[in-house]
Amino acid sequence: MKLILIANIITCVCAFAGFIYGSITSFKPKKAVYPQMITLAVGCMAFGKLYQVVRVLTGGEIFGQFQLGVFGYIGSLMFLFSANFGAMDSLADDKSNTFRKYRIIAFAAPCAVAVLYALFIFSTELPIMAQVVSAVTTVLAMHASYYHLKHLIFPDVDFGVIKCLRPYNLSALIYISLCFAEMIVIGTGNEISILIIDVLMGIILIDIIVLAERGIKKWKI
Amino acid sequence: MENIAYILFICLVAPMLFMVLMLRGRSRLLVGYMLLGVFVSLFVSELNTILLSQCGGDMLYVSTTVTPVTEEIVKAIPILFYAVVFSDNRDRVMPIAFATGVGFAMFENMVILAQNVENVTIGWAIIRGFSTALMHAICSVVVGYGICLVKKRPKLFRCGTFALLTLASIYHGIFNMLVQSEYKYLGFFLPAVTYIPLLFKHYRYYKNKKGAL
Repeated sequence: MKLILIANIITCVCAFAGFIYGSITSFKPKKAVYPQMITLAVGCMAFGKLYQVVRVLTGGEIFGQFQLGVFGYIGSLMFLFSANFGAMDSLADDKSNTFRKYRIIAFAAPCAVAVLYALFIFSTELPIMAQVVSAVTTVLAMHASYYHLKHLIFPDVDFGVIKCLRPYNLSALIYISLCFAEMIVIGTGNEISILIIDVLMGIILIDIIVLAERGIKKWKI
Repeated sequence: MENIAYILFICLVAPMLFMVLMLRGRSRLLVGYMLLGVFVSLFVSELNTILLSQCGGDMLYVSTTVTPVTEEIVKAIPILFYAVVFSDNRDRVMPIAFATGVGFAMFENMVILAQNVENVTIGWAIIRGFSTALMHAICSVVVGYGICLVKKRPKLFRCGTFALLTLASIYHGIFNMLVQSEYKYLGFFLPAVTYIPLLFKHYRYYKNKKGAL
């Protein structure tokens, strides 16, 4: 349990660092909504991990029963999805037939998530609540990963908006993979793997904010 | 004493209701939303009692996992209603969100006070007033601020609102967990630590706005 606590503290500290940086740089007057949503996604993860840290420190369980820390994953995936679907997609995709192949290729990401989830759910025996939570997380991860992959491969036609955000979208895809990997590893109970995944997740959470901010600075519109 | 929550509710709401009818404009809106917060608090206390019995009476688990979610969802409904039906202007939504949170906390404090009148102290009042009440207000303000942000684009709105509720629920859960543990002093300071940057940001926002005008 000590390793789990350390793993959660590392991710929590990194996520808070990213959240504070994002809050300072993104929440300025006349700033775009997009980086604000990304900052909130990182903030959600920061608070979710803080919840888990406090729960472990106060003698509670984080794996055996439902706890609000999972809302950190759910909330951050919702914010990431909202950012790309609500604030960015309409700028990139004019819904014309020219880009149909990119839309179809982007389905590879949610399909991969769905296949991994199916393998995970059939190989482990989870309590019903954990199954519900993992299903919700998977659905959100599928939605978010679709737009991240789409914006990663989509040609930049008009404004140069998508091109600048490719490194960010790649990082976000890695983040989603890590969320999913953590969910699978928690099922096996391997603490070393959880520690490695959480350290990587912490680095990626800072990276996401920095890359998004750097990409947005390059916007010319 | 039976029905203490209802007795307090009538005693508090009846005179304020008369006052609301006399007020106009923003004052009416603010006091009205404070009253809505009181009503929401009463509703949630009944809801939580049902949930507590459903969860086998485990008060610690329910207060750290279930009640933060129910409270934040029900508290957000009046704010969401205002943002959807009337205006998503930040200058209008933020004060009513704060009023809802304060109304909620005020009534919750009154009920707890009435139920534990033998044991309460000045220290208890300071903690309830400066930390729990502030925490409720902060959660509502964060939801209100976020709703103004996501309401601008219809595609952002639904998913963004749910995400905001998860954020507020986690924060509420952290606070509830801390104040019931040996780290309770950290819990008491958590709302203040969050409130100060929010206040600073709020003042800067108005200063910039004045400058722009």
